This record gives sequence, C-alpha cells and structure tokens, in this order.
Amino acid sequence: MEEKYIICEDSLEGIFTAVYDAYALREGHEHIHIQVGEDENYRLFAVYLHSIADSGKTEKVIRTLKNRLGEEVYLTLCQAAASCEPDRGEAVYRTVVDGVTDRHGRRTMENLRNPYVARCFALARRTANEAHHEIEFLRFGELERGALYAVIGPENNVLPFVMPHFADRLSVENFVIRDEGRDLFGVHPAGRPWYLVSGLEEFTEENFAWSEGEECYRELFRLFCGTTGVRERENRKLQRQMFPLRFRDYAVEFAGGTEREP
Amino acid sequence: MEAKIAPQTSVMEKLKILADAAKYDVSCSSSGSSRRNDGTGIGNTLAAGICHSFAADGRCISLLKILFTNECIYDCRYCINRRTNDVPRASFTPDEVCSLTMEFYRRNYIEGLFLSSGILYSPDYTMELICETLHKLRTVHRFQGYIHVKAIPGADPALIQRAGYLADRMSVNLEMATAEGLREMAPNKRRSNILKPMRQIQNGIAQNQNELTLYRHAPRFCEAGQSTQMVIGALPESDYQILSVAESLYDKFSLKRVYYSAFVNVNGDKSLPAAESGPPLLREHRLYQADWLLRFYDFRADELLTKEKPNFNMEIDPKADWAVRHLEHFPVEVNSADYKMLLRIPGVGVKSARRIVAARRFGGLTFDDLKRMGVVLKRALYFITCGGRMLYHTKIDEDYIVRNLTYQNRMGRGEKLPFMTDGTAYRQMSLWDYGAASG
Repeated sequence: MEEKYIICEDSLEGIFTAVYDAYALREGHEHIHIQVGEDENYRLFAVYLHSIADSGKTEKVIRTLKNRLGEEVYLTLCQAAASCEPDRGEAVYRTVVDGVTDRHGRRTMENLRNPYVARCFALARRTANEAHHEIEFLRFGELERGALYAVIGPENNVLPFVMPHFADRLSVENFVIRDEGRDLFGVHPAGRPWYLVSGLEEFTEENFAWSEGEECYRELFRLFCGTTGVRERENRKLQRQMFPLRFRDYAVEFAGGTEREP
Repeated sequence: MEAKIAPQTSVMEKLKILADAAKYDVSCSSSGSSRRNDGTGIGNTLAAGICHSFAADGRCISLLKILFTNECIYDCRYCINRRTNDVPRASFTPDEVCSLTMEFYRRNYIEGLFLSSGILYSPDYTMELICETLHKLRTVHRFQGYIHVKAIPGADPALIQRAGYLADRMSVNLEMATAEGLREMAPNKRRSNILKPMRQIQNGIAQNQNELTLYRHAPRFCEAGQSTQMVIGALPESDYQILSVAESLYDKFSLKRVYYSAFVNVNGDKSLPAAESGPPLLREHRLYQADWLLRFYDFRADELLTKEKPNFNMEIDPKADWAVRHLEHFPVEVNSADYKMLLRIPGVGVKSARRIVAARRFGGLTFDDLKRMGVVLKRALYFITCGGRMLYHTKIDEDYIVRNLTYQNRMGRGEKLPFMTDGTAYRQMSLWDYGAASG
C-alpha cells in the first residue's frame, strides 16, 4: 500500500487537525504520516495530502485527548507539538495512536518502549526545559509608565508555557513578553487574563522608553552578580553549563559588561 | 544606632559590602514551598525553586543574598566579618532591603530574599531588626515570594517564632561538625545555643502541621522547612563524622537540607589550612553526593563509610564505591528488581528508576530502552542485566570494575565533575588573572 503524507500547518491547531484528518481517512495508521510544513524533497510513490487548520476539528481532538488520555498526557503532547524539531508532527500522531487506539490512557507516556512515545517524551522534555530556562533567565525592564517588558529568543515555541507562570506571579502588573523569532507577544493586563497576539509592529521595544530608575536597578543587579561569586571557587565552565550562552544576550547581568566573559 | 551607619553610604556601596559579606553562606535555594499569588501583591513560590542567574563560581543566584549588617560583636576565626577584622562596615535600613527586593523581584532577577546578619549590639536587637524588615515586606509591600532568614542563636524565642511566620525557610548554621571544633573556631558560640533555636523551629513546624490539618487557612510557619550548613576542611574531621552528623540532623531535627561549605581561608589564619591549594571542592562534592544518597536513595551513613574507612574515595563516587564493595547484590535484573534495588545501581537515578518501573509494565526492556530513559549505561553496564544478559562480556570483579570506571574518568569520559579532577576549581585565565597579568 502507498504511503500517505499529511502536510499540516506549523501550529498546535495545524497538528491536531492533521491528527483528526488521519483518523478520518479510516485506513489504519500504518501507512499514514504527518509532516509539519512542506518537505524539501518529495518521496517517490507517496501521496501527499494537505490539511488546513480547523478550529472545530482541533477542539474535537483536544476533547478526546483530555477525556481518553488525561490532562497530563495532553500537556505533554502540547509541549511536543511546540518543539522546533521537524518530526514533531509524526511523534505526536504516533503517540496519540498508541494512547487512544491501544487504550493506554493516562499511562501513555510511560510506554517508553515505543520509540515514538520516547521521541515525543524527549521533545516535550526539551520544550519544558527551555520554558523553565526562560522562566529563570528572562528579564523584565520597566517602561516609562510602569509596565514591564521582556524579550526572549527561544528555539521552541515556549511562550504559551511561560505566560501562566508570570501571570500568576505578577498578577497586579501590566506586562508584555515578546518572542523575537516568532514575532509573538504575550500580553498580560493587570488583574485580567493573559493572551497571545502576533504581528504587532508598534509593540517592539524600539517604540518604548525605559523608566528613569531602570538603568540604576540593572546596574545594582550587575554589581550584585559580580560580588556574590566566591573568587577562590571561580568556575566559568560550570557557569556556562548552567547559564547557556544563548540566553545571555537577554540577561542584563551579562549584557552590560561586568559579568561578561573575557 | 544611627551613629554606626555611615549616613552618606549609598545603596550601591551598601549592596557591594553586604552582598560580599554574605557570599560565603551556601544556601541559595528557593525550593520547598508552593504558594499561588492571592491577587493583592506580587509573588508566588514554586516547590521546585527557580535559579535566576549563575555567578562566576558556577553557583546559582536564586535569592538576593545579603547581610542586614556586617557589624558583629563576635570573633569567629573562619568569618570575614569578625569583630577584629578591618573591613568596611555597613548596614541596610529595612526600607532599603524592601525596595531592593521588590524591584529586583518584579524584573525577574531574583526569586526572593535571603536575609542573614552579623550581630549588631545583641542577638535580640539584630533579630528584631530582621523581623521588622520581613514584616514590612510581607504587609506593606504585600510580597508573596520566597524568604529565607537566619535565626540568630541566642535571640529571644518569641522573635524567632515571629520570623518563622514571616519566612518560608529558616536556618541556623551549625558551622562545625563537632562541638570541640566549634569551640576552637568560634569562641563566642556554643553548640547548645545553636541547637536550641533549631529544635524550636522543628517543633514550630510540627505544631503548625497539626494546626493546618485542623484549620486550612492557619498562618504557615516555615513552610519550606529549615536548613543548616557546616564548614568542611578547616579542621581534621573525617567524612564519616561529618556525614553522621548530617544524618542525625535529618533524623532528629527533620532538616530539609544540610549544606557543606569547602573552607576558604579568608582571614589568612596561619594555623588553618592555607588558601593556595584552593578549597577542598572534590571533598565537598563527594559529601553532597553522599547527602543525596541519604535523602533520596535510602542509604545510611554507615553503609557508605565506617570507622575503619572514614573518608570517601576520591576516584569514584560514593554510590559506585558502595556497589563495588557489595558485588554480592549484582548484577541486578532490570526487568524484575524492586525499586529500592534499582536505586542502588550506579548510573540509575531517581527519575530513571521511576521510568523503568513504569515502562516495564508494558513489556520487557532492552538496553536501548534504558538509554532512552536516561540511564548512564557506561556506569551501569557492570551492574545490570536486561532479560538475563549483560551488555558486554564483563567480569563481576571489584578490581576490574574499579579499574574500568577510573580509567573512563581519567579519559574524561566517565563521571562528570564540576571541576578539574585534582580537586581544585576549574581554572582558566580569568578576568582577575588578566588584571594581574596586565597590571
């Protein structure tokens, strides 16, 4: 039998719609694959189907996943779908098949013997780890009128997993987090629910001015970071391992000079 | 009191002096309490804790770790802030501490405040200042983030009680593993004085647990428990002594953490180990590894060390060391061994042991599966079988395994140490060396 490739949009909605379409074909799952975005090279003798993201189908898939697999597995699938790896669609799809069709339910993610579940698990873990890194390392600056603004540049699409943390912590603050690479903004108005928007030109940091005290606190924190290390124990290798270089451009203590490496 | 605080000192200078004075305190964790924001101020806490940055020594910066004052009436030999040292002195005001904490916190620089202090005038006086600061932070600023505070030994129990209701974690430093050691190093401190507030906090937490069972919204006392720290390598105590003390602290005082601090001879004391060889980092590392074995792997101190063998093997880690000395338990069949035995296999951690137990319900596991689950096969392969087979043709022989493990270490392919294997810190040309070379 010929292999069928379902090509979907690069978003949670796109992947879940493709999963719906794969089930709707009713041809079993052995020869069906999901691919996020167009392939560079087309395969011989394969059939390519295009799937268009659909909120109705997505909702049905989400409802089924939550009912049959539970919230925890659902969250893991979302994290895997937010990964930047090209095989994320296939990993999520095969894991759903393993969980729903083989009825592993809430234990789905424990079946690490299945290579797709293991892959999905690894992708989700990578996204979760990066989200945690952003929670640790992103730095807000205070704008003129008191709102907070932060920029991040993650590899995976972690903003949806970062926002709930700050929305709870800084519930009384107005803040915006911008994902540079995806041109995505997480917006939190004080005391109200947060939301994501994209393509807001006027929201980029060039259009804002920092508040008066901002530079002073940055300087204080740089001073603190420079002071609190014990000189006799200096260990730049360990520091680099714990605070990877790619996050440092966004952290005030490294951007300003005192903590910069020689 | 005002006379002691030079009025012209700016917050910048104070922070420099008082962060510098606090840096030898090890604890910087923000874990152990889980609290959501209530909508009236900023802050929440996560059970796992969050690090926000890492200093040049590779240690995490989670809390704004400062002393309230570095004035001190005591004269401890290991301490940079002792009375007889000629160092610049400064003190914060409660308001300065509050605004620094709040402004750092909202910018996501820190997870909360770590407030310690030298002894200004008397323990009571100092503890009262600390309480006032915390009270202001919690009530005026409605700060709901993490607070770690030192209980000052000798302070009025009522003040310690008050601080406990304001903080997430409290700690009293044991300083030295033995009472004699403490007498030698800190002539003004007494062991009994340190254990008293420790016991008080333990009882406070236990009592609070009972209150919380009855009244869900009762105020929380030290939700994240208490911790302590010991200086390692200043006096000739053995690892066995240190680990036994740590074990009894966990057992009898229900501590959350015991921290070990490799001794740095900050005062240039000739009678104490010199600073040139660097602090004993490898020894500290081995103690932390053993400490983890006590807390999460169900080991006892006297399984790891004995009076006859009182110090850790510097070549291989404590768990592998135990395993090669108890080869009668190995090899372990991964598909059938119980969880506790899985935990004792070198190369298998708490997470991978849990994954193994969960995954093998679905069918037999292979070595590839184990690798995907995070098992470090290059260490585990000497001790396990999968479906009755070992990975390679290896011998169950102590010398053979030790030779292989240490060979891997020497080749840089074995145990990952956070520093060079000679026990000194990993040192490359640093900013300071550059300064010295060019200046």
